Amino acid sequence: MGSRRDSASKPADRTLADVPLEEEVVVVRMEVAGEDIEPLLERGIVPGCKVCPVRHSPAGGPTVYRVDGHLIALRRETASCLCVRSALEAAGVLDAN
Amino acid sequence: MSNGAQSASIAPAPAVASSPGHPRVALVGPPNSGKSTLFNGLTGLRQKVANYPGVTVERRSGVVVEAVGSVEVVDLPGVHSLSPRSLDQKVTRDFLTGRLEGDRQPEAVILVLDGTRLKTHLMLADPVLGLGLPTLVVLTMADELKRRGGGVDVRLLSAELGVEVALVNARDGASLEPVRRFLRALHTGGEEIRACPVVSAADATTAENVHGRALPVIDLFAERRKRARTLGRSAAFQDPRPSDITHRIDSVVLHRLWGPLVFVATIAVVFEAIFTAAVPLMDGTEALVAASGEFVARTLPESWFRSLLIDGVWAGVGSVVVFLPQILILFAFIAILEDSGYMARAAVIADRLMHRVGLQGRSFLPLLSAYACAVPAVMAARAVEDERDRIATIFVTPFMTCSARLPVYALLIAAFIPAGPLIGPLGMRAAVLMGLYALGLLAAIGTAALLKGTLLKGRPHPFVMELPPYRMPSLRSIGTRLLDRTKVFLRRAGKIILTVAVVLWVLTQVPSGPSGEPPEIGDSALGRMGQVIEPAIEPLGFDWRIGIGLVTSLAAREVIVGTLGTIYGVESEDDQSFELQAALQQDLDLGSAVAMLIFFVFALQCMSTVAVMRRETGGWMWPALQFTYMLVLAYAGAWVANALL
Repeated sequence: MGSRRDSASKPADRTLADVPLEEEVVVVRMEVAGEDIEPLLERGIVPGCKVCPVRHSPAGGPTVYRVDGHLIALRRETASCLCVRSALEAAGVLDAN
Repeated sequence: MSNGAQSASIAPAPAVASSPGHPRVALVGPPNSGKSTLFNGLTGLRQKVANYPGVTVERRSGVVVEAVGSVEVVDLPGVHSLSPRSLDQKVTRDFLTGRLEGDRQPEAVILVLDGTRLKTHLMLADPVLGLGLPTLVVLTMADELKRRGGGVDVRLLSAELGVEVALVNARDGASLEPVRRFLRALHTGGEEIRACPVVSAADATTAENVHGRALPVIDLFAERRKRARTLGRSAAFQDPRPSDITHRIDSVVLHRLWGPLVFVATIAVVFEAIFTAAVPLMDGTEALVAASGEFVARTLPESWFRSLLIDGVWAGVGSVVVFLPQILILFAFIAILEDSGYMARAAVIADRLMHRVGLQGRSFLPLLSAYACAVPAVMAARAVEDERDRIATIFVTPFMTCSARLPVYALLIAAFIPAGPLIGPLGMRAAVLMGLYALGLLAAIGTAALLKGTLLKGRPHPFVMELPPYRMPSLRSIGTRLLDRTKVFLRRAGKIILTVAVVLWVLTQVPSGPSGEPPEIGDSALGRMGQVIEPAIEPLGFDWRIGIGLVTSLAAREVIVGTLGTIYGVESEDDQSFELQAALQQDLDLGSAVAMLIFFVFALQCMSTVAVMRRETGGWMWPALQFTYMLVLAYAGAWVANALL
């Protein structure tokens, strides 16, 4: 999943930080180091899950995302470690369940 | 235990009967799953809070009395998985596997999952069922699931998991009957308890390997999530609609403009409550402590014992008890804010600012609490998951202006700062008071930045904050929390204050005169200590009398007011006392008075805080460092003030 082959056929993946509000995307790769990844995984943010930004908090604070029907706030720097594809596009590539 | 390793899975009922005490059931579940509400619903007031040995994780247990016998229920900390990533998760895992020192393994497990969030919460099912203990799965929030158009077939889920499943409203006692039936089965050996989860070899190894890191962690969770979804599908789980009311409240509370306003207004209301509304209650408590002290004094004959009781114990413990109304009000607000779901939003709003100074959104609550008292604030810092951020938060909380500083500020400001206006309606005295608050806050910010740049340096961990749907806080849960927070506070603060008060009392009594009468304060051991430290505090403009005050204020800051009253032989120890002010004006000038104010802004004169720090950081290293650091800052600040003014 972490290989480079996808860059040949597709434009470079966006990160979750670039996704506009209300656009549903699928996480394809997580570039979070070491143990830091567990808090995300435990809350259901794993490769293949659907995520949708629903609200920016004031003054550039964390953004609120909907993941599996509940709300999780992430800082921009964390969101930018999550590579995503739009949900429609990913449906053909990944089993998004 | 020689070769009977497999016996547990064959005959659970006799094993239960032979274990000492009541059979024990553990409540496991993710945070915000309704676990504590269920725990309160089951145990009522028959619960106690303690710490697991050697760590700062709270151990909550209670007894459920049923006709067939009692069951001990242990409410484990909220966890998302059993990997030992955090202390909470490590304790949970060790408790469930019986590896926790001094605690035996529970006979059964109740896995509590939020029924509206099954898709994610079912990820915890594999590791917990993989333990092989008799398990009941409780799905909470049945009413909310239904109201928002979701649903789940409990029987199908039960068949898939191989254990009993119950759908309940944790707040509705009647709906807890299946849970009680499960508890009763521990005594009767009913079939609920015999139904051990069917553990496939794969699941068992998965559960073991979370900490062995045999599988890449990312694949493990992807696997678990897939399994959770399959389970959900087989159980005809229907996702509830997103909570409409939550969406609407969030669009105000997290709004670009209204969000920060609501945030500031919330803080203002909490401040108003703890500083204004609490005052009559605190005065009442103070009067009660004084009256009861007088009563005891009148009843007992004049003796050293009476003096110890009144001047030592009553004065010392009274100084803590007086703050209780304020702390109760603070706890009530915290409980309401947390249970309603707003606290998570406040953390999100505060995160950017906090992150800039090296802390994070979750540090906001402890820092706010610290304006009342640092002791509950240090305990509240447990909410900060990240260890470095937690230590940094604990380290800076004593800089926030706690209410024990107020009597000292009030006395010195009244004695040395003229009452006239400064700018417009802002009086000189109010301005100085605000300045002292600001100075404390600045010191906290500077210290946090300093720590994160040096001792606690490192890559910032991600900030992952769940925003639970808004819910109406229940009176019962707020009441229960108030009660147990208060118990913990009194136990922590009371013990140390009592000890220090008695020691100080002894120091004022020795060496006694020829006929056994206590010495003049200047001749007592305490007075000598004041004189010994006089050369050290002279550069700050303080004499030995203030020195004695500083020594006694190590116990608790406000104690200095009473001590100075005693030293100057002032009858009324009221901090508004003009006599005391006049006496102080003889000994201090403006420079040394400001020096003293600044000393009190910075110095860690509170043994209760030191004790709770030691407890929460697991050693003397951090409190010792903090005490020294704050003392150096206090000394330097006071010296500069005295030199300049």
